[in-house]
Amino acid sequence: MSTLQTRPEPQTRPPSGPPDRRRVRRKAVRTNWTIGLLALPAVAFFLVFSYLPMSGLVVAFKEFDVSLGIFGSPWNGLENFSYFLESGDAARILFNTLFLNILFLVATLAAGMVLAIMLNEIRSTFFKRVSQSVVFFPYFVSPVVISIILQVLLAGASGGGGAVNDALGGLGFPSVDWYTEPGPWPWILTVVKIWQLGGYLSVIFLAAITGIPEEVYEAGMIDGASRAQMAWRITLPLLKPTAAVLLVLGVGRIFYGDFGTIYAIVGDNGTLFDSTDVIDTYVFRALRQLGDFGTTAAIGLFQSVVGFVLVVIAVLIQRKYSKETSIL
Amino acid sequence: MSGKKLEPFTIVSVIGVSFAMLACAIPFWMIISGSLTSESELATTGYSLFPAAFDLTAYKMIFTGPAVLNAYFASVFITVVGTALSLAVTSGLSWVIARRLPGISRPLTVFSYLPMLFSGGLVPLYLLVTQYLKLQNSYFSVILPLLVMPFLVFVQVSAFRQLPESIFESAKIDGAGELRIFFTIAIPLSKPILAVVGLFYAVHYWNDWFMALLFIDDVHKFPLPLVLQNLISNISFTQMLPQLAEAATPVYQLRLALTTVAIGPILLAYPFAQRYFVKGITLGATKG
Repeated sequence: MSTLQTRPEPQTRPPSGPPDRRRVRRKAVRTNWTIGLLALPAVAFFLVFSYLPMSGLVVAFKEFDVSLGIFGSPWNGLENFSYFLESGDAARILFNTLFLNILFLVATLAAGMVLAIMLNEIRSTFFKRVSQSVVFFPYFVSPVVISIILQVLLAGASGGGGAVNDALGGLGFPSVDWYTEPGPWPWILTVVKIWQLGGYLSVIFLAAITGIPEEVYEAGMIDGASRAQMAWRITLPLLKPTAAVLLVLGVGRIFYGDFGTIYAIVGDNGTLFDSTDVIDTYVFRALRQLGDFGTTAAIGLFQSVVGFVLVVIAVLIQRKYSKETSIL
Repeated sequence: MSGKKLEPFTIVSVIGVSFAMLACAIPFWMIISGSLTSESELATTGYSLFPAAFDLTAYKMIFTGPAVLNAYFASVFITVVGTALSLAVTSGLSWVIARRLPGISRPLTVFSYLPMLFSGGLVPLYLLVTQYLKLQNSYFSVILPLLVMPFLVFVQVSAFRQLPESIFESAKIDGAGELRIFFTIAIPLSKPILAVVGLFYAVHYWNDWFMALLFIDDVHKFPLPLVLQNLISNISFTQMLPQLAEAATPVYQLRLALTTVAIGPILLAYPFAQRYFVKGITLGATKG
């Protein structure tokens, strides 16, 4: 059967150089153009919402005037960039962006991995399924809801009390006025990120664990390894490629602060800016409160360029590391 | 994974997982319980694990006044219309990429994934939507910028590629065109994956507040998360809820009740939808 089907192939594609292949391709495009209609809406979407705004980045080099529009406004060179760099906010915001994102990335990956290994130990399928569902749930909750939960825990619904302070009191510690104390916030936000993403990442890692062949564990068992040793010596090393992919993807996005979560939680609470203000929240406030399009676009351009470079480096490293799981 | 005796590591794992479960579930429990606790009780304790003084005032207020129902309508509209549009656009694109057509699929892949790597950023998007498309205060200002999520294109492309090629070959021999193959064969065969992708989009739209924050100023058009956000930053949100002007308004309780109302649909749908979500990220993560 199969020989019958494959026989015509040599005739339709004679062994020859690139010009022929090009002709085949052109013919394919001609015969398949109707299928292109299916992609048309998506292409239009990307053109309008992704590629068109890229051209709008010229605002970064202009003194923007709403009445004149993007392309009619006068040029002002690098003034927007120097304004940001000289404002004194730049160093703090860049530091916060990098510091918080690295903290989030490492902490959530570690938590997801530990959670997946622990979930894998559970033998009761019912308990495993239920617990996996429960820890995955916070991923589906809006940052605004997370913000309210945090308020109830840290300050109480009414702004007095709060579960955490009550617990601290029970242990004999003094209570803390969390929302006026910038110091602990990087750690609070890290705990929030672990809570939000730990379950989600554990699902990914658990899928990777399921892919590990059973024989490896059987061999370990014959050699008398305990469950803990197998987790440490077999599962953990075999999860490295998955972790590497996620890490690389995360590194590429390190320059894009986590606007949703941070702004929903911190909002316009200026006392916490010292430790929580990142590029995205700064840009948003500058845009919303000052209406300063030029400077914010300049910061955005800076962010996009550095972000792009990071993504490219990350993808290159990842390609070298493992070819099959490459994203592009 | 056999072995009869219970090892210490297994016990530690069960304890660890149980702890993680509690840490994920208790905050929601506190919100729901607090929303059922009377305002005076909340004002003194700040939270409650069990409603000491059971009270439904806030829920009555939510479901009798028009304000929250408006917000609910806005959220439902954005979610339903957005998910339908996103699904249609995403499946069309994914199908063309998945077919591996010479001269079409590859350029299209690059064209679709490039925006993931480089974006114009917030300001050009803001100017585009407000100055050029004039979508301010329209629900479509929330829907359109979020229309296609590249991650879900990944998921759908890899699902389409798992369909057996021979079906399409034989359909072609029977004279079916590409469009016909897509609508009468590929789509009906892909119902499960459409459910996965649709659910991800739905959650995304339901939870979005950033686009709404940027583009919707009219309080009567606020979707639910934005109303909540306003209740956080501005306790006397009188502009939105006229009944709040009265002295005896349970502000704290109202906030928790509204939170419950906002997570309610996800919480109710979650037990049925959960396995689809797991399937979705597994497909996306293990894509070759």
